[in-house]
Amino acid sequence: MSSAVPDRSALSPRRAVYLIARRELLTRIRGKVFVIGTVVAVALIAVYALLQLLVIDRINTTTTFKVGFSGPATVLAQPVEAASPALGFKVHVSEIATDAQGRSDVRAGSLDALVDGTPGAPQVVVKTGIDPTLQAALASLAKQHMLSTDLSAAGLSPATVESQLNAVALRIDTLQPATAAQLQGPIIGFVMAFALYIFIGIYGGVIGQGVVAEKASRVVEILLSTVRPGQLLLGKVVGIGLVGLIQLGIIALCGLLFTVPTGVLALPGAAIGAVLIGVMWFVLGFILYALMLAATASLVSRVEEVSSATVPVTMLLVVTWLLAYVVAIPAIDAVTGGGAAPHGLATLTTVLSLIPPFTPVLMSIRMAAGEVPLWEGLLAILLVLGSIAGVTWLGARIYANSVLRFGARIRIRDALRR
Amino acid sequence: MVAEGVLEIDRLSKRYGSVLALDEVSFELGVGELFGFVGPNGAGKTSTMRIVLGVLAADGGAVRWGGEPITFAMRRRFGYMPEERGLYPSMGVTEQLVYLAELHGMRAPAARAAAAHWLERLGLGDRGGEQLQKLSQGNQQRVQLAAALLYSPDVLVLDEPFSGLDPVAVDVMSAVLREQADAGISVLFSSHQLELVEQLCDRVGIIRAGRMLAVGSVAELRAGSAPRYWVDAPDAPAGWVAWVPGATLIRQEGSRVLVELATPAGDQSLLQVALTTGPVREFRRDLPSLTELFRSVITEEPGMSVATPGRVTEKAAR
Repeated sequence: MSSAVPDRSALSPRRAVYLIARRELLTRIRGKVFVIGTVVAVALIAVYALLQLLVIDRINTTTTFKVGFSGPATVLAQPVEAASPALGFKVHVSEIATDAQGRSDVRAGSLDALVDGTPGAPQVVVKTGIDPTLQAALASLAKQHMLSTDLSAAGLSPATVESQLNAVALRIDTLQPATAAQLQGPIIGFVMAFALYIFIGIYGGVIGQGVVAEKASRVVEILLSTVRPGQLLLGKVVGIGLVGLIQLGIIALCGLLFTVPTGVLALPGAAIGAVLIGVMWFVLGFILYALMLAATASLVSRVEEVSSATVPVTMLLVVTWLLAYVVAIPAIDAVTGGGAAPHGLATLTTVLSLIPPFTPVLMSIRMAAGEVPLWEGLLAILLVLGSIAGVTWLGARIYANSVLRFGARIRIRDALRR
Repeated sequence: MVAEGVLEIDRLSKRYGSVLALDEVSFELGVGELFGFVGPNGAGKTSTMRIVLGVLAADGGAVRWGGEPITFAMRRRFGYMPEERGLYPSMGVTEQLVYLAELHGMRAPAARAAAAHWLERLGLGDRGGEQLQKLSQGNQQRVQLAAALLYSPDVLVLDEPFSGLDPVAVDVMSAVLREQADAGISVLFSSHQLELVEQLCDRVGIIRAGRMLAVGSVAELRAGSAPRYWVDAPDAPAGWVAWVPGATLIRQEGSRVLVELATPAGDQSLLQVALTTGPVREFRRDLPSLTELFRSVITEEPGMSVATPGRVTEKAAR
């Protein structure tokens, strides 16, 4: 017997975190909750894609306007029919013998519109109102007809004039070409930020419950006799985070498989950079919030109390989302729309996005829009990494001080005390 | 110089708010010693054990192992069975034993072998694949013991290992603890089953309200209490005990009396006086059980300890 530390009790901190994370991953991925949750989510996406397909088909078949022409305006019928495919709707034209007959057809609903009057001053009769695209098309065709008539009257061939007109091309020099990523970036950033928000909501809850379940089953007492609180905390966050990422990956992959071939969603190839930046903020943001959720959850002893114990953290998340919606998105919209951001909004966004709890959501939106200088992005990453280290330390302390105190909820001030 | 492997609990103090849970608790656990820790609920047994295992920080005092302040790495050589049983209810039995063994530094193959060995030894050889919560309370307790023994610890700390066990499981548990101690492992356990502690333990520590009142073998504890004798002198007149100097009548059952003597040497005069009254059919030393010792120690005023707490030599004779 020797009190010297033998080799086999060597457990590196990394291996401890690995073992804990592996257990979380393996036991949860085989669990009913994970399997059923994933299957349901994939099924919902499939149903959504299917519905989209059906709705799109219906829209395509229903946008046919039945337009009747009578009197001199009948000369417009041919051009309207010819122009309709380019306008994105179908027109079914018919010649109506008399004006009165046409009006009664419109009233009866067998015609969507009746065009009479002269080609130069057409009069459109509709029942309740006219579709704006149809109105614009009719107006422009009437103008074009008028122009042709005038050109002919002046002895010019309308066909010649048209070909000359078509030859006039506008040369555009773009000083700052908008890339596909820049146009899709804000949308992708917004989607990623929203996904992060939802993800933290769901998997942060899972972590909180996992912490309290371990506390309630008292397994934590055995665990803490061999691993340090910080290692246990980190292992849980990494393990459960991976479970979430795997689930999200499966769902996203199935989503793409269902939607891209059916044309419901176009895969924005040029937006991969924005997606990668989003994924990075996703991971950092999740770790930061999950650590805070785990530490606050350890203050209570029953699973039912988790949501009330974690209120400060979930409120922070909601505030972040409000800031994104109220401050960051309008500012970015203004800038990418070519205008200047409203006074002070841009500065406010920049400052807010460098405050760690807000950074992951706000930065994923800002960086996806491509308006963040490199140094600012790097600074934001450093600040978040630093706060993750700080939260791990602080969280481990709260955790260590409260995880073995059962019963009533522990005040955070007491938990921070030695 | 403290011998290798001796666990010293040195003047541990712990305060919860206004309650002083541990007040300079000291004792030693020798190599291969089976030590019973007894005391009323809330006396400080669990707090002491938690501090030894490092899951609770002491306000004062120290725990040393082999003369050195205990470290986190050393504690991985300790097996622990907490008072509130704690394992994952919905995890497989073998799976969680392997996990716990790995967390104590074992590699997977060795961990699996150890889990299989202990489940077999504790009569759960065919239950390894089941979820813990599917097992009966007693069997869950066996798994809990396996979790403490798995990684061949040098020190075993068990908080109430016998509570909730049926008589057969109590026998299995006792046999395993004795076997471990005989193999040179130091075992510290708490219990309210004093007969069991008396019969099983090499030494006993009695704690009340955070203070160690007595530490020693049961024989040593008895040495501190006044000797008592059963005497059956059928022809003796009533009140004959009063003739013996320093003797007090404790109880009378028919012609038999239980007498307490002020000094161990008083037994000779007790016998002589009894013989003067006529025939003596019984003259027997009444050895107090641990239960009686416990009662007398616990009901005394604080500070009037029967045996002096502190260093008692490690068990070398065994």
